[in-house]
Amino acid sequence: MRTPRVAGPPVAVVIFLMLLAQTAFAQDGGGQLWRFDAGGRVQSASVTADGQRVVLGARDNLARAFDRAGKPVWQFPAANSVLGVDISPDGRWTAVASEDRNVTLLDEAGKPLWQFKAGRAMNNAAVADDGSLVAATSDDRSFYILDGRGKLVWQEDLGIGVSGVAIYGTGDNARVVIGSDDGYVTVYSRTGEHLLQSRLDYDVKSVAVTPNGATIVAGTSDGLVTLLDGASGQRLWNYKTGKLVNSVAISQDGRTILAGSNDKQAYLLDGNGKLVQTFKPGAEVLATALSGDGTLLVLGTSANAAQVLDRGAAGASQAASQTRQSGTIAAALFGLAIVGAASALAVRRTARGARVWQRASSGPRDLGRRMWQARISYLMILPTLVLLLTFNYYPAFSGLFHAFTDWSPGAKTEWVGLANFELLLHDRFFISSFQNTVILVIVQILKTLTVPLLVAELVFSLRHDRTRYWLRTLFIVPLVLPVVVEILLWNNIYDPTIGLLNQTLTALGRPEWARTWYGDANVALGSVIFIGFPWVSAFALLIFYGGLIGISEEIFDASRVDGANGLQRFLHIDLPMLTGQIKLLLILNFISAVQTFEVVYLTTGGGPGSATYTPALELYYMAMRMYNMGAASAIGMILFAIILAGTVVNMRFVRSSMEYEA
Amino acid sequence: MAVSDSHSGRLARFARAWTGPRRGESARQSVMVIVLGILLILTYVPLIYLAILSLKDNGQIYGRFWSLPNPARWANFVYGAQAIWRPMWNSILTTTISTAGTLVFASLSGYVFARHRFPGKELIYTAILALLMIPPILTLVPAYVLIYNLHLQNTYWALILPWTSGGQVFALLLCRSFFATLPEEFFDAARIDGASELAIFLRIAVPLSVPILVTVAVVRLVTTYNQFMWPLVVISSPARQVVAVALTQFTSDMGITDIGPQMAAYILAAAPLIVLFSLGMKQYVQGITAGGLKA
Repeated sequence: MRTPRVAGPPVAVVIFLMLLAQTAFAQDGGGQLWRFDAGGRVQSASVTADGQRVVLGARDNLARAFDRAGKPVWQFPAANSVLGVDISPDGRWTAVASEDRNVTLLDEAGKPLWQFKAGRAMNNAAVADDGSLVAATSDDRSFYILDGRGKLVWQEDLGIGVSGVAIYGTGDNARVVIGSDDGYVTVYSRTGEHLLQSRLDYDVKSVAVTPNGATIVAGTSDGLVTLLDGASGQRLWNYKTGKLVNSVAISQDGRTILAGSNDKQAYLLDGNGKLVQTFKPGAEVLATALSGDGTLLVLGTSANAAQVLDRGAAGASQAASQTRQSGTIAAALFGLAIVGAASALAVRRTARGARVWQRASSGPRDLGRRMWQARISYLMILPTLVLLLTFNYYPAFSGLFHAFTDWSPGAKTEWVGLANFELLLHDRFFISSFQNTVILVIVQILKTLTVPLLVAELVFSLRHDRTRYWLRTLFIVPLVLPVVVEILLWNNIYDPTIGLLNQTLTALGRPEWARTWYGDANVALGSVIFIGFPWVSAFALLIFYGGLIGISEEIFDASRVDGANGLQRFLHIDLPMLTGQIKLLLILNFISAVQTFEVVYLTTGGGPGSATYTPALELYYMAMRMYNMGAASAIGMILFAIILAGTVVNMRFVRSSMEYEA
Repeated sequence: MAVSDSHSGRLARFARAWTGPRRGESARQSVMVIVLGILLILTYVPLIYLAILSLKDNGQIYGRFWSLPNPARWANFVYGAQAIWRPMWNSILTTTISTAGTLVFASLSGYVFARHRFPGKELIYTAILALLMIPPILTLVPAYVLIYNLHLQNTYWALILPWTSGGQVFALLLCRSFFATLPEEFFDAARIDGASELAIFLRIAVPLSVPILVTVAVVRLVTTYNQFMWPLVVISSPARQVVAVALTQFTSDMGITDIGPQMAAYILAAAPLIVLFSLGMKQYVQGITAGGLKA
C-alpha cells in the first residue's frame, strides 16, 4: 500500500496556519467604544478604576455618568458650567466643581450629599478614594480642603491661579497634590503640612497621581508633560506636546499617561515618557481620563464631544465569543491533526527520510507497507507532533516570516522587506537596549561563575561534616523564592523613602549617598544588576558542588602526594574537572541574559530614558503597547540569531562535556 | 537534600590525611567558615527583611523602620491570602495540568522513539530536538497572535496548551534516553504474551520509569510556576491571572500600598515551591543538569 505523495509537507503546514492566522485576524483590536455629544464644551472627565463609570462635566451645566457601554446612569444639574469632576476608583463618590461657585459631593447614584460654596467659581475638584476628603481649586486663587461631611478643614490662599488638584491615599493618610500657576507642584497632608514641593518651569495647569502616590504627572502651560517621583519630587522625564496641556491622567501603575493638549491632540505615553499613540479628535482636548489599568481612555473636547476608547477591546470582545471559541479550537486542532499526520507520513518520501529507513528495508515499494505496520507508532507520537507543530514550530516560522512584514492587529499583513530592521536601527531605545545587553550578559556570566564557585569550593573544603551540611543547605534554601518575588522584594529594598538601602545609608550617617536608585540614569542599570547581591545562585552552587563531589578521590590523593596546596589544587584539579559545569552555566546564562525581561520590566520599566532597556523589553513594548507586531518579530529574530550563534559556538563545549560525563 | 552526602566520610578522611601534618589548618578552616558566614548573612538579609515587613503595618514601617514588628500583625497573612488565593489557585491548576499533559505525551513519544522502529524516526526526532534552539522570545509574539486568533485569550487554555507543548521537548529527551536503557527482554516477553503496545507501555515502561518521570515533573512544575512573560501577555483578566503576575499588580488591586499584606503575599506565593523543593530537590538538580548537558 502506498501513501499519496504530498508536496513539501512542512511548507503546506506553514501556509495553512498562516492562512488560518490571517483570516481570523480580520476584526479590529481596539478603538472607539462610544461617543457622546454634550450641549457645551466637555470641560472635565473622570473614570473609575474598572472603567465601569465614566463621568463627564460640561458647559451645559450638567455632570453626567455613563456605564462602560455609554448608557446614561445618572446626571447632576448645576446652576452653571461644570468645570471639574472626579470619581473615586470604586465609583462611590464623585466631586463636582462648578462655575456656580459650588463644590458638590455626590454618592454613587448621583445624589448630592453636601455642597460647599466659595467666593468665586470652583474650577476643579478631587475626591479621596474613600470619600473622606475633597479638595477643590477656585478662581479666587485659593483651594479648599473639605472632609467627608463637607466641613472645611483648611484653605490656602495662593494669590495666584490654581487649577491642578489630585488626591491619593485614604483616611488620615490622604494627601492632596496641588499644581499652581507659579509652577509649583505641592503635596500637602490632610492637615495642611507641606510634604513635598517641586518647581517646574511653567504654570502647572493640571496634575494627576497614582493611588500609591509614587508617581505624579503634571501638565504645564508650555506644553510639557512632566513625570515626578512622588517620594523625592525629582523630575523623571518631560514630554513636549504642541501647546498648553489642559489635562493629564495616569493609570494606577503609573505606566500609562494620557495628556490632552490645545494643539487638538491627545498623547498616550508610557511610563518612560515614550509616545505610544496620538489621538486627533478634531478639536482642542480639554479633558482626559484613564481607567485603573490604562486601557479605557476618555477624551473631552471643545467641540462638545466626549470619546471613550478602549485599548483592550480585543480582550473584552473575546468574552462574547466564548461559544464560537470551542468550535474554532476543534476545527483548528482537527485540521492540524490531519496536516500533522500527513506531513509526518509524507516526510518519509523525502530523500533523506527514505535513506534513513532504507537501511532496514528492501526498497521503496516496501515503504507503504512498513509505515502501515508502524501505524501504532505514529499514532502514539501524534499528540506530541500536533502540539509541537501548533505551539512551537508554527510560531517560530511565523515569527521569522513576519519579521519582514507590517503586521498589526486589525490590519492586513504586508511584506515590507527589511523596513522593520531599518526602523530598529533608528530606534534609540533598541540601540541602547543592545549596549545594555552586552553589559548584562557579561555581568551575569561573571556573577554565576565567581561567587557560587567560591562558595562551592569553601563548603566542599570544610572538614566539619555538620557545618558543611548546614551551610550547603542554607545556601540552597533561597531557591524556593519565586523569581518575581525576589525582584519585587528588591524593589522594596530600593524604595527611596522606606527602602532598606536608603534607610541603612541614612543610619550609617551617609544620607547623601541615598537616592532614587531606579530614577537616576547614572545608577539605574547598576541597581538592576546589583539585585540579588551577593549573588550566591543556588542553582549554580548545586551544579558546582555536584561537580566537586564527582571528582574521584584518587585525583585528590595524587595531588596530596605531590604536595599541592589549596590554590594549586583548585587551579590544576578542580577547575579542569569542572569544565563541563562551567560551560553548561556559561551557555545557560548567556541564553537567559540575552532574553532579560522581568528584571527590568518589574523594576525600572526600561527607564529612566532608555538607561535600562533590554531588547526583550522593547519587543514587549513594541508588541503590547504599540501593536507593531512586525517590528517585535524582527527583534525576536535578531535575538534568535544571537542565541543561535552563541549556542553553536558552545555546542562543541557541551558535546565534549557530555563525553566527559560518560 | 540536594546532593549525596556519601562523600563526607571519605572527604573527612582525605582532608585529615591531606592537611593533618600542616599547622594552621584549623585557622584556615575558621577563615573559611567566617567568609561563608558573611556571605550567608548577606544572602539572608533580604529574606529576613521580607519576613519582618510581612508582620508590620504601614505605621510601623514608616514610623519605626528599624524596630521589630510590635505588635506582630499576623492578620497581614490573612489579607495577603485574600488577595492572592485566586491567582495561586490559577497557577497551581495550570501548572499541574500542563505538567501532567507534558508527562503523558512526552513519555508516550519518548517510549516510541526509544523502542519502536519506523520509517522516518530519526528525522522526526531531530526535528523535535531542533526546537531546543528556539528561544521563547522568538515565538512570543506569533504565539500570542495564535492564541488571540483561537479566541483563547484570558482562558486557562492559553497557558495550558503552550506550556504542555513546550515542556515536551526537554521531557522527551530525558524519557527517550531513559527508556533506551531498559532491557529489551521485558518488552519481548510481553509481546510474546500478546500484550498490545499501549499495554506494554502502561504496564512495563511506565512503572519502570517512575524516577525519570518524577524528575521531569519537578523541573516542569518549578519552571512553569515561575513563568511570567507569557501569562503577562495572554492573560489580562485578574480572575485568570497566575500568581507571578498577580503579585506585581497587587498595588493597583488594593488601591493603596499596604506593604505588610503585600510582603505576606510574597511569602505565601513561595509556599508551593517550598513543598516542591522539600520533596524533590534531588530530582530537580538531576533534571536540570541532565537536560542542560544533553541539550
